[in-house]
Amino acid sequence: MAIITISRGSYSKGREVAEKVAQRLGYDVVSRDVLLEASEHFHIPEVKLVRAIHDAPSILDRFSHGRYCYLAFFQSALADRAAADNLVYHGLAGHLLLKGVPHVLKVRIIADLEARVAAEMERENLTQNQARDILIKDDEERRKWTQNLYGVDPWDASLYDLVIHIHQLSVDDAVDFIAQAAERQCFQTTPDAQQKMDDLALACRVKTALIQDDCVDVAVACEFGNVLVYSKQGHRRTHQLEEKVKPLAAAMPEINHIEVRTGQAIPPEAC
Amino acid sequence: MPELTFDMILVMIMIGIAVFLFIVEWVRVDVVAILMMVTLPLLHLVTPSEAFSGLSSNAVVSIIAVIIIGAGLDKTGVVNRLVGPILKVAGNSQSRIVIFISLTVAIISSFMQNIGAAALFLPAVQRISKNLKIPISKLLMPIGFSAILGGTVTLVGSSPLILLNDLMMPFELEPFGLFDVTPVGLALVGAGIVVFVFFGRFILPGGKGEEAGAAEEDRQEQNHIMEELGRPWELATPEDFTHYREPVTVDGIRRRYLVNVVGLVEPPDFKVLGPAPDQEIRSGVEIVVYGQEKDVRRMAEEEGMALKDDLELFKGELADHASGTVEAVVAPRSSLAGKTLNQVDLAERFQVAPLAVYRQGVTYRAELGSMPLRVGDAILLHGTWKRLELLHAEGSLLFTTPLDSDQLRPEKAMFAGIWLAVALVMVIVFKIQLSVCLMTGALGMIITRVLSIDEAYQAVDWRTVFLLGGLIPLGIATEKTGAAAWIAHSVLNAIGTVEPIVLLAVIGVLATVFTLVISNVGATVLLVPLVVNMALAAHTDPRMAALVVGLATSNSFILPTHQVNALYMGPGRYRSVDFMKAGTVVSIVFLVVMIAMLYLFY
Repeated sequence: MAIITISRGSYSKGREVAEKVAQRLGYDVVSRDVLLEASEHFHIPEVKLVRAIHDAPSILDRFSHGRYCYLAFFQSALADRAAADNLVYHGLAGHLLLKGVPHVLKVRIIADLEARVAAEMERENLTQNQARDILIKDDEERRKWTQNLYGVDPWDASLYDLVIHIHQLSVDDAVDFIAQAAERQCFQTTPDAQQKMDDLALACRVKTALIQDDCVDVAVACEFGNVLVYSKQGHRRTHQLEEKVKPLAAAMPEINHIEVRTGQAIPPEAC
Repeated sequence: MPELTFDMILVMIMIGIAVFLFIVEWVRVDVVAILMMVTLPLLHLVTPSEAFSGLSSNAVVSIIAVIIIGAGLDKTGVVNRLVGPILKVAGNSQSRIVIFISLTVAIISSFMQNIGAAALFLPAVQRISKNLKIPISKLLMPIGFSAILGGTVTLVGSSPLILLNDLMMPFELEPFGLFDVTPVGLALVGAGIVVFVFFGRFILPGGKGEEAGAAEEDRQEQNHIMEELGRPWELATPEDFTHYREPVTVDGIRRRYLVNVVGLVEPPDFKVLGPAPDQEIRSGVEIVVYGQEKDVRRMAEEEGMALKDDLELFKGELADHASGTVEAVVAPRSSLAGKTLNQVDLAERFQVAPLAVYRQGVTYRAELGSMPLRVGDAILLHGTWKRLELLHAEGSLLFTTPLDSDQLRPEKAMFAGIWLAVALVMVIVFKIQLSVCLMTGALGMIITRVLSIDEAYQAVDWRTVFLLGGLIPLGIATEKTGAAAWIAHSVLNAIGTVEPIVLLAVIGVLATVFTLVISNVGATVLLVPLVVNMALAAHTDPRMAALVVGLATSNSFILPTHQVNALYMGPGRYRSVDFMKAGTVVSIVFLVVMIAMLYLFY
């Protein structure tokens, strides 16, 4: 009856926690499979998607929209899965990609660096220093990624409902806490909450449709099926976008009303 | 040729800064003028008393008086009374309507601010368009252009001409009389009307191809906003409406279904028109809403409301007496421009509900609150007439649907007319200075209670006053330091000796370009000292050169930068390209007619 996002570093036991939570509650669990879905659905090579959601944006990315487009595809695939409810997602930025949805339980799992180094040494057959270097670099990369794209630090505890350190507490303890939290009233899928989730999924679908139609400068917000398509460009763009948006409204029956807005600030809830 | 001094360079830098600020509009034009008023004495380019002399100048006092007289004529309905007879004479031929209304607007505009005359006629023109089924785009542009052209008929018609005598004072040239420009002005108005009557179908939007088809299309456009908005519907909520659910509010319904609740009746005796956004809708109440049919039907179905076939409870009230829907346009220099409806909070302050916003051919219905408004945006508002009147009185919105109960004082119309006549007689017969005559007229209107002194103060547009007053010292500085003479000589040296008529034509083009980019007042202040010097050096009549500037700064048709054009853009559903098309033709005709008339008459 909820959506749970688990943000984790590599070798932090996050995957294990996620899978056990899903098993306990009888939810679906997704992670990279969302990538695969997205790549199949939008006909783009998976490797590009992986790079877009893993590496920190380079200088070059500032001149191309590639990364933002791939991210939109990814977000859309995730939102569609989340709209079906009862989902555990583990991986990057789930809490950011599903922003504004009330019944998302946002969890971060962290682990002791030494324990992670040991785990990595064992699995990848590396020396202690190599393993530590890789982990630190990996953490740094993810941090930069989130900061560049969302302007927040993934290590900021206020982004989450729960931050659990797997050290003294075991994986099973973490599963207990999360399962208990998920039962709380505030994470239940009320009609209102589901509406917000559906709106987000619809906004994502409209955005990806526009991106595939070569409109990469748009942000989309949706409330009760009323879709607003924002563009940073001036009024000239309105009429061009109107033309592209009209067929969408006809093709997606869940769109109740669609409007194009230019020359105004894009609200934070737009995706 | 005079030496280039340091002071001259300073003045030129200041002019450069002023022009730059006029174009980029980081601050409003009147603020630029005040900046000049303060900076010039600080740089010792003018004396402190010269710096503020603009505020007491003949021009500024005249414009204050003209605005008050215009407000008096407006308040007494003198202008509205003209409309009826004109329509009778004009019949229902499009050309005749254009001719008669354009002429009337031009004549009124010659004694009022152009924008005032244009705003006055907007509701009337919209009504005519609706009644006679003539597309509004065919009417508004000719009429708007006539309002601008009418500004050239008398010396008080537009700010540049009012300024002209003051700017010529340092040169000790003979000042112009009130009607000295009239022949040229009338020729310009005539030429403008002729252009639209004969070539209107080619240069006005939607005029190409089959006339009938285009008209049909435009008519649909006309009804567009009402279609988007839908018609009123009446619904009833069931007895179990509020059971087991979150409260449903007026705002909630608007957000969810884009349906506007404008009236609510709750037994036993609670009845409200224009309910507040947080008004809860309970069980067993009747509501009346505005919305598109599909939205209303969807709401009725999803919320389990009973949709009535016809209006029952709200029939009389909604139809006419108590509340209604008006289209209001964001006026030029309105305090609403740049703000969002959320910031303005019409719902809270005036209890009127915005239903839709229309901008450059697009209707917006969702999330209106977050849209920054622009000049020329048309907002569809619903509210009780009382509330709408309050909003109207505030003056930041121009109502294109006339409010029936406009507080007019028709019984004072005669006094208003008499005092206008008195002012004119003083000018023409007794040759008293313009500002004194006009102020007498304005004072007369106040004493005979055509309008109260407070209304007179409110009518004065302080932005115009400070724009004029602040730019005059820039003109003084240009002249005093010799910068004007220096530039004039340099230009003349560059182009060599030319025929006077060529020089005047060049000045005309120059003034036209300036007025399109910077304001007409700015262009006049900068150019008059320059061209007078040029004319003196080239042995041409300097008064003619100044007059060309004064007239050509009204030649602002190609871009919708002139206030009148900005105002008509929204209601006329024009785009910039429409102005370029029609404006280019009119601008060229303007220059040709002006030069020809000056050559023939003076």
